[in-house]
Amino acid sequence: MARVWDNLREWYRDRRSRLDLFDETLVTRQANPFYLLGPMLYYFWLVTVVSGILLMFWYEPTPEGAYNSILHIQHAVPLGWLIRGVHKYAADGVILCIILRIYRMYFLGEYKRPGELSWMWGFAGLVLAMISGITGYLLIWNQRAFWAAKTVLTVPVYFDELTAKIPVIGERFNLGSMIAYLFLGGPAIGAATLTRFYALHFGISLVLLIVIEVFYYRTRRQRLNMSLFPILVFSAMLVYISWALPAELGRRADPNRTPLPILSDWYFLALYQYVKYTPPLWAGLGPGLLIGFGMLVPFLDRSKGRRPLERPFFFVVGLLALIYFLVFTALILFNIAVIEREPPLVLLVTTVVLSLAFVWEIRYRRRQARAAAQAQAAPPAPARAAAH
Amino acid sequence: MAHDRAMDRRRFLRAAASLPLAAGLVAFASPLLRFLKPNVDPFDVLQPTRHDPPAGEPVVAATLAELQKPWDFKYFVYTQKYPQYTPEGFRSASVPGVAIRLPAKIRMPWDWVRATGETPQFTESEIIVFSRICPHLGCIYNFVQDWREITAGYGGYVPPRERQHALMGCPCHLSIYDPADPEMPGRVLSGPAPRPPRTFFYTIEGDRVLVRRVEPGGIA
Repeated sequence: MARVWDNLREWYRDRRSRLDLFDETLVTRQANPFYLLGPMLYYFWLVTVVSGILLMFWYEPTPEGAYNSILHIQHAVPLGWLIRGVHKYAADGVILCIILRIYRMYFLGEYKRPGELSWMWGFAGLVLAMISGITGYLLIWNQRAFWAAKTVLTVPVYFDELTAKIPVIGERFNLGSMIAYLFLGGPAIGAATLTRFYALHFGISLVLLIVIEVFYYRTRRQRLNMSLFPILVFSAMLVYISWALPAELGRRADPNRTPLPILSDWYFLALYQYVKYTPPLWAGLGPGLLIGFGMLVPFLDRSKGRRPLERPFFFVVGLLALIYFLVFTALILFNIAVIEREPPLVLLVTTVVLSLAFVWEIRYRRRQARAAAQAQAAPPAPARAAAH
Repeated sequence: MAHDRAMDRRRFLRAAASLPLAAGLVAFASPLLRFLKPNVDPFDVLQPTRHDPPAGEPVVAATLAELQKPWDFKYFVYTQKYPQYTPEGFRSASVPGVAIRLPAKIRMPWDWVRATGETPQFTESEIIVFSRICPHLGCIYNFVQDWREITAGYGGYVPPRERQHALMGCPCHLSIYDPADPEMPGRVLSGPAPRPPRTFFYTIEGDRVLVRRVEPGGIA
């Protein structure tokens, strides 16, 4: 037991020493924009936090005052539209950078040893950023905010079906309802919900920022591994987008009327389509399983190579995830859903593609093994002098 | 030897001091933890609301004059009150509902009413009152008088000939319900909803349809 513990600690220390949260160690590849995603992520995050603190001066977290205070910020506060736009678009930038970076890490096998911990932090960061996003857009108290919060917090209620199956505990312990009550602060969305979401929205970024700062302080790494030029370009971009495409306000929340069609923020759209397709318990469990898979990928993928084609199964899984993300988003944008026809189709395609990927993986591994055996059977090549 | 005993005593004192300290910490933490679960009995921290079920004042959903022809309907809002530690002693949530006149009498789906300690006036009726909270994920669904609108805007469901009448559709995730299904009023025709919408228990007094309770469950 003690040895297992020692090994674990050794593993953790080793990975921690090579933790690379914002691509600080990849300085040599800065010419490639895909390796600029780390510093960009940190930059957008800082902008979001600073503009968010400015917004807090005027924002009022009550059901009566929230929407009006946003109106006030947008139209009466000097440069209020800019602060709000920068906050929104920088936050979108954070999410976009994390998503792109996660896909880069996935397809290039950067999650493999010694990058396991970096990957897990990155993935957890995506989940937390999305939670911060959804808690953030409830604060506007418009129709989208209200209905997004309502549907999101009804999803866990179906976990009660699982706890109900446990003999004695199930009658007293309703896990799902408890989660929903905790976030809603009662039986329905109200004033308590707003303050709780406000606290979460603010708390997630700030706590993470403190953790990251402590990490920087102790490892003496560089914070923004990016020259001045991209920083200026990104800042100008944020200002321009906030001016050209002001952050939307929508209609004031009306608890008695559901708008048609109802859409959430862009990074939740695919999930929203998935929720349309599946029975409610699975709508809750599916994302959980996806997060679990993401966190455990470094330990599930035992293949040797780092290049995509050297690990066919996981390559196909990643590709499928990317395609589903794009296709589901497109489907919901065009409001196409024939509920009787599409879910079985999606399930069928997934099953077939994953089975084929599995066969491909096995065949690839067999071929590798055969090649290795042949190389061993052949006489060793004559030793050559090292080239200079 | 004497030294050892002195250490023992110190350890004993430390243990004795730590007990009230720990108790103090728990006493300090308990109101904070309780704050996380409002409208709960103070000592029964694991149970949300089973011992104090929500209830509200009876509300007039519609008058019989408003529901004369088949498929006449009326929207209304019922205020459900949950016991809670607020100045008013309760916290209220709105439950929107719809009262519908059906073309034929059906059996009322009121098996849940007896558990609330009330007995229905009648078991069959042409008027049915649904909660408009979608049992899927809690959006407010709509009563759609023309079924073609369901096909166009709510996910492409084409009802069979015998169901081509007013239906109910949720804009969030495209669940479609048939309010007039004789075996199971509000039967799910299409979409991810796991059950029919919850019903209201009502009585008819004079000309008024008086809504008394809403079927428990779900989040308002």
